[in-house]
Amino acid sequence: MSQPTPPSTAPAAESPARGAAVPIWLIVVTVMLFYLGALYFDEHGGWFSEKVYGPYTSFQQVADLQISGAPNPLELGLRVYNKPTCVSCHQASGQGAAGQFPSLVGSEWVQEAEPGRIIRAVLNGLQGPITVKNQQFNNAMVPWGGVLSDDEIASVLTYVRQNPEWGNHASAVTAARVKAVREKIKSHPGAFTADELLKIPAAD
Amino acid sequence: MNYGPLIFLTSFLALSASWFGFVLTPQIQIGRQPQGTNSINPAELYPQARPGLAAQGLQVYRANGCAACHSQQVGQTGTVIDVRLLEAGTNAAAVAAALVNANVGISTANAAGLLTGLPKTILSDVSIDVAKLALKALEAPGAKGEIKISPVGADIARGWGRRRTVATDYLFDQPVQLGSQRVGPDLANAGARLPDLNWHLLHLYSPQKMVPGSLMPPYRFLFQVRKIEQQAAADALRLPKEIAPPEGYEVVPKPEAVALAAYLVSLNANTPLFETPMTVAPATTNSPAK
Amino acid sequence: MNACCSTPTAAAAPDDINVSCRAPLFVLFGKAVGWLVAASVLGLVASLKFHSPNILANCACLTYGRVHAAAVNAQLYGFAVPAGLGVALWIIAQLGGIRVVQPGIIAFGAALWNIGVLIGVIGILAGDSTGFEKLEMPRYAAVILLLAFLLIGVATLFTLHDRRERRLTPPQWFLIAALFWFPWIFSTAYLLLTVCPVRGVMQPVIQWWFGGNFTFVWLSLTGLAAVFHFLPQFAGRTLHSSQLALFTFWTLILFGSWTGIPASAPLPAWMPALSGIATLLTLVTLISVGVNIFHTKQGGRVSSETSSAYRFVLFGLGMFQLAGLMRIASVLPPVSAVTNFTWFTVAQAQLNSFGFFSLVMLGAIYHIVPRVAGAEWPSAKSVRLHFWLAAVGILLVAVPLALGGVAQGFKLLDPAIAFQDVSKATLPFLRAATTGELLILFGNLLLAANLLGLVVRCFRAKLVPAFASVTAEMKFAEVKP
Repeated sequence: MSQPTPPSTAPAAESPARGAAVPIWLIVVTVMLFYLGALYFDEHGGWFSEKVYGPYTSFQQVADLQISGAPNPLELGLRVYNKPTCVSCHQASGQGAAGQFPSLVGSEWVQEAEPGRIIRAVLNGLQGPITVKNQQFNNAMVPWGGVLSDDEIASVLTYVRQNPEWGNHASAVTAARVKAVREKIKSHPGAFTADELLKIPAAD
Repeated sequence: MNYGPLIFLTSFLALSASWFGFVLTPQIQIGRQPQGTNSINPAELYPQARPGLAAQGLQVYRANGCAACHSQQVGQTGTVIDVRLLEAGTNAAAVAAALVNANVGISTANAAGLLTGLPKTILSDVSIDVAKLALKALEAPGAKGEIKISPVGADIARGWGRRRTVATDYLFDQPVQLGSQRVGPDLANAGARLPDLNWHLLHLYSPQKMVPGSLMPPYRFLFQVRKIEQQAAADALRLPKEIAPPEGYEVVPKPEAVALAAYLVSLNANTPLFETPMTVAPATTNSPAK
Repeated sequence: MNACCSTPTAAAAPDDINVSCRAPLFVLFGKAVGWLVAASVLGLVASLKFHSPNILANCACLTYGRVHAAAVNAQLYGFAVPAGLGVALWIIAQLGGIRVVQPGIIAFGAALWNIGVLIGVIGILAGDSTGFEKLEMPRYAAVILLLAFLLIGVATLFTLHDRRERRLTPPQWFLIAALFWFPWIFSTAYLLLTVCPVRGVMQPVIQWWFGGNFTFVWLSLTGLAAVFHFLPQFAGRTLHSSQLALFTFWTLILFGSWTGIPASAPLPAWMPALSGIATLLTLVTLISVGVNIFHTKQGGRVSSETSSAYRFVLFGLGMFQLAGLMRIASVLPPVSAVTNFTWFTVAQAQLNSFGFFSLVMLGAIYHIVPRVAGAEWPSAKSVRLHFWLAAVGILLVAVPLALGGVAQGFKLLDPAIAFQDVSKATLPFLRAATTGELLILFGNLLLAANLLGLVVRCFRAKLVPAFASVTAEMKFAEVKP
């Protein structure tokens, strides 16, 4: 088979491009777009502030929205609850799981007049059979004393005891109270059982 | 004239301008940013570095290209400011009069009605100045009120977050997996929405069972089907009959699956920060997962 | 030869130039076409998973996230860059009237690049992805790629430096900028993301900066160079205005280098704002190219010999404009609120990288290869068919994805619509897109077959006479005493 004829290899006729000028209307469009861009940046650019995120348009606007004042204690408690700590077992709704994790909603353990027993349960954990709202549970609750600080335990217990959605209306828990209980149970290293807790007065 | 060097120079200047503007300046501005503080509880630093297992999970997320379908950014289109009256105090009439006088859009006819059925929202979607005015007017006669600042937007309405995500949210992640597609839902707050480790494991094993109609492929290679030795493993998955392994076998998550689930559960970007002001009452936060 | 004509090098005849290009282009284009097919196959495997999520689900290396990333990287680094470099080399050699300097080094660089892409794609499938879009290839592959590019780029620049024809024309400006652009953005991105990683959200910033500079600026620089060189040539005309081309060049590099950061980014507001404004300004780049080519084409006539290549390049230019308009539309606030995170952005990206760049490169390859190889394509019909398959294919990919993306965006904005319903509604559009990808794959296979046939023909053409001369009967000459 003879070699097929190659295509024409005439030199690429690349004379330099012709010299028509840039149309003036294109320059006008460019300038207009620049102007529109500048207006947009003035409005939405936050003027290079690192604290201004859309939809805010100025640092002052963001600063004005900083509401000072005492933090909502339930808000703090909710965040400890969701760390995730309590939420993994007792769930976001507080209802827990039937047969496994007791519900906190309207729970008589949670809403005792004094929080001594539940502080102990949270600090050292809970194991063995326990009756909550007429339901039997026999599981193990993780101790949180080594993981959460007294402040955190106080705020999460306050949240649990006062959550309006769950219909809980008990008193708040203070960090000092948690600290006192922590001292008292130093001699009891392991988890509590429900029977042990019932023997200790809640006001302790 | 040899234009070659001139063209090179122009290109160099253009690229260095863009490098200066979008690499150097952002690095100076946000590249060495420290942790932020929770704007409600200043003692709390945010974010905390992810615990070890979750950090390993991020590498599993990266290796399997999860960011090809899932984004991790929440958007926000606006902020709604409300004023809530919590307690009317002892002198309800004075409170009503003060509200009317404050010129915040409450007429005498409405004022009395606003004082019943507390706590109640008395002003909705006003500017911050009006809200502050109203609050000041309330406090003089001894009533108690609060200003509620709620970010709004399509993502927030969908339950994907309570506020938009900002630079601080990604501070300690390597690599940051923002994603650019929503073939699957946004995951910036997956841990807040779906805090159950087990749910994530089951979902990775069989997405169609947990979310009917899902397009997500199953990630069975993250699990191991093995014969049950003396007794079932503690972490064996509890699967419904249709997808359970044959009798005598169990499905156990590999360490990668557990790490990935731990990572997903750690995704939570709802802390109020200076850049994203918000105050949301706890009662509405733990809404069921979407 | 007049002694006072002290030209540094004698003008090379076009045939000589083509012969000197043979080795580099053989490696560059050959491997590029191979990766084009591989990328199409990987892309098809990825999109099949939408239609049946259980397909190949038990294999970790074929999970969607990995295959999709591998497909994108194979398309961009396996095909787009080598094809662009090959076309750049040929244009620079032709316009400069100079043989390629050090073709062996370029061929070696091309082979090294190919090894780098192979290692990179395998690394992604094995789970070593870096996690950054368009930069997923692991660090160890990126080092090889950078080295290979430098070898090719420096040798090409030396060829340019030695040129006979000293005046620089628009295609050459674009190519000089392109040869310089890629190493800087590539090395910066990999340095700041994998070697000394920046912290937090700076990582996506670098990723977006690279993405905009690579997929918009670099692809446009190289693609437009080919357009400005080939379109006038095919139409038998000269480029309408070099001043307008200069305007295109400046606006492309000045504004284009600031594009890339999306409006939804979790960044301080000034960054997406600046990027959006820069993208809007690239409208004038689109307009200037359109005006220039429009006036160039007028009154031109395309010979049948170059009509297929002409179609590729012209269609590619049309897709450049369309992709550019989609890019601009997607930064306008009312549009971005809808199209963010939807298939619309994928449609725009595909239209840009395949519809514009790959088609222009294919047209150039179909034109260059016969001249370099010295032989015609075995099947001219395949060439014509490839055009139609590619053109219909990319439209069948981009249009449904764009429409589906807009529909998806509107649904996402309505919180009452459950997310599963939003996903389900995108499926018909995805099916159409998969069909388009299938057509594109067939077209690419035609090219691969054609190229293989051409290479075989060339080797046979060389080997047969060589073999014949070696095995011919030797004639004894009588030696007369």
